[in-house]
Amino acid sequence: MKRVNIFAWFIFIIGVIYFFLPLFSTFEFSLRMKKGVYSFEAYRVAFQDPKFYYNFGSSILWASLTIVFSLLLVVPTAYWVHWRLPKARPIVEFFTLMPFVTPAVVLTFGLIRLYGKPPLVLTPTPIPMIAGYIVLSLPYMFRSVDAGLRAIDIRTLTEAALSLGAGWGTIITQVIFPNIRVAILSGVFLTFAIVMGEFVFASLLGWPAFATYLEEIESMRPYTPQALTLVSFGITWIMMILIQWLGRGAPGAGEAAVGH
Amino acid sequence: MAFIEIKNVSKYFGKTVAVKDFSLEVEKGELVSFLGPSGCGKTTTLRMVAGFEVPSEGQIIIDGKDMTFTPPNQRPVGMVFQAYALFPNMTVAGNIGFGLKIAKKPKEEIEQRVKEMLALIHMSGFENRYPHQLSGGQQQRVALARALAMHPQVLLLDEPLSALDAKIRVSLRAEIRSIQQELGITTIYVTHDQEEALSISDRVVVMNNARIEQIGTPFQIYNFPQTEFVAQFVGTLNAVLAEIVDVKEGLLRFDGQQVHTADKLEGYRNGDKIMVAIRPERLSLVSEGRKANVLKGTIKNITFLGSIVRIQVKLGENVFSIDTFNNPYLTLPKVGDPTEITCSKEAVLVLQQQPA
Repeated sequence: MKRVNIFAWFIFIIGVIYFFLPLFSTFEFSLRMKKGVYSFEAYRVAFQDPKFYYNFGSSILWASLTIVFSLLLVVPTAYWVHWRLPKARPIVEFFTLMPFVTPAVVLTFGLIRLYGKPPLVLTPTPIPMIAGYIVLSLPYMFRSVDAGLRAIDIRTLTEAALSLGAGWGTIITQVIFPNIRVAILSGVFLTFAIVMGEFVFASLLGWPAFATYLEEIESMRPYTPQALTLVSFGITWIMMILIQWLGRGAPGAGEAAVGH
Repeated sequence: MAFIEIKNVSKYFGKTVAVKDFSLEVEKGELVSFLGPSGCGKTTTLRMVAGFEVPSEGQIIIDGKDMTFTPPNQRPVGMVFQAYALFPNMTVAGNIGFGLKIAKKPKEEIEQRVKEMLALIHMSGFENRYPHQLSGGQQQRVALARALAMHPQVLLLDEPLSALDAKIRVSLRAEIRSIQQELGITTIYVTHDQEEALSISDRVVVMNNARIEQIGTPFQIYNFPQTEFVAQFVGTLNAVLAEIVDVKEGLLRFDGQQVHTADKLEGYRNGDKIMVAIRPERLSLVSEGRKANVLKGTIKNITFLGSIVRIQVKLGENVFSIDTFNNPYLTLPKVGDPTEITCSKEAVLVLQQQPA
């Protein structure tokens, strides 16, 4: 038994080193901006650059729009598939895996060729990019929502709500949404992380974004991108903690039944 | 005019016939049970009344209004599901008040109604509990309160007690019946449990293979089954294929022995084969001197079932069960003993069947 524990700890420590060593190295490097001393100069420079706020803010905007439209597309679709078309689930799942087989570059050029000329010219707007992000995040968003829907009895809950006079809007917002809250949050978080780190769409379609900004300053200032990478990583962690915090009162957790 | 009229309703799922030519009239305040084995079409019929399924043929009328194609959220029905179907994200009060909130009732009215409903199901003080903090029986009572809070004209219950243990099932079914009678609400109750159906219903609809086998009061269904299926499905039964010896006298023969039936054998001829049935509680071991309707056999098995003792007697090819009330001074025969059993001719039921 003791041997097993030592082995488990050994694996755990290896994992921690594997995960934290690159982070630590990046952090250590980001502190070396001033010669001979460790300082937060790279962070100061990064936060003083108005372009950082512009690009970072743009990425947050793109991520938010992607999340909103992705939720509007995925939640009702996944819900309908569970409720009325359970046999179509593997087909929908197959389509959501498209970004895994279609590289982002191919997808972007496809969008440019299709929407860069009449009859529907959309390339001057961020619509093709947002649409691309939605496609890119589909596997994560769909799978998260799908897992949430599978965990509850969609059919009976829907029928119960219908028999009480509820319409579809009420069912989705008051019955389904709150019961798959944690699953939706997982999808939202993954989508946010993907969009914040996505480079190809923004670069090829010419829209400001955090990833393109990092690439741009890397050639000019060697220490700042490392600092910003860690900032971005910190934001991701904060989001994960937020998900845990928001999901703490999720249905199903808590006291056991008493009485009869 | 009946309160609910189900007229020649059929439902097909592709080539599968789920319900065929179902017709029933339910009076206001009546509790009618749909009883049958799994897959007989009872739940599909209930779901058509609720609006979750659209009939392939026929018509459903509630309180004089054709509801055949009315969406479920516009029907005056409340429904209780086998799986409780309480909303996990809402408290007991939230669940009970959900329909009233949808109907945009004032907050005070909702609170008042929730209190009334909780009192009705004897769960006052549980307002702020969540479904996962309740037992199965409590959840189902809340589900019942939620369905009743809207004051629906019709209450539909789809095997509401199936997921509960035996003791709670018995107490809760009595509670459901008592609430139903108190409110006078027209109710359709789906179950596969014959004891449940017989104990709480005004009338029972026995279904098999997508069709109605028999409609009647629990007394009629149990004592006068019209088909072999009803006789076999409701209660324990000794069913046997008999040959008609004398149509006029009602004399039948099986296993080389003869019995009389009080049922009329119109339409049959001497020599025809018919299905006859005798309930175990209507048979008894012969006491001295009895001559009529006596069958000879040997004791095959004796089973103690608590309040009754079931004795199995082998009569040639067939084995008959006899139920006798248990008492501490009962003298039971031994397995293998020769014996004689008897019943009145009224106990020998001829089941509906075309002459062979």
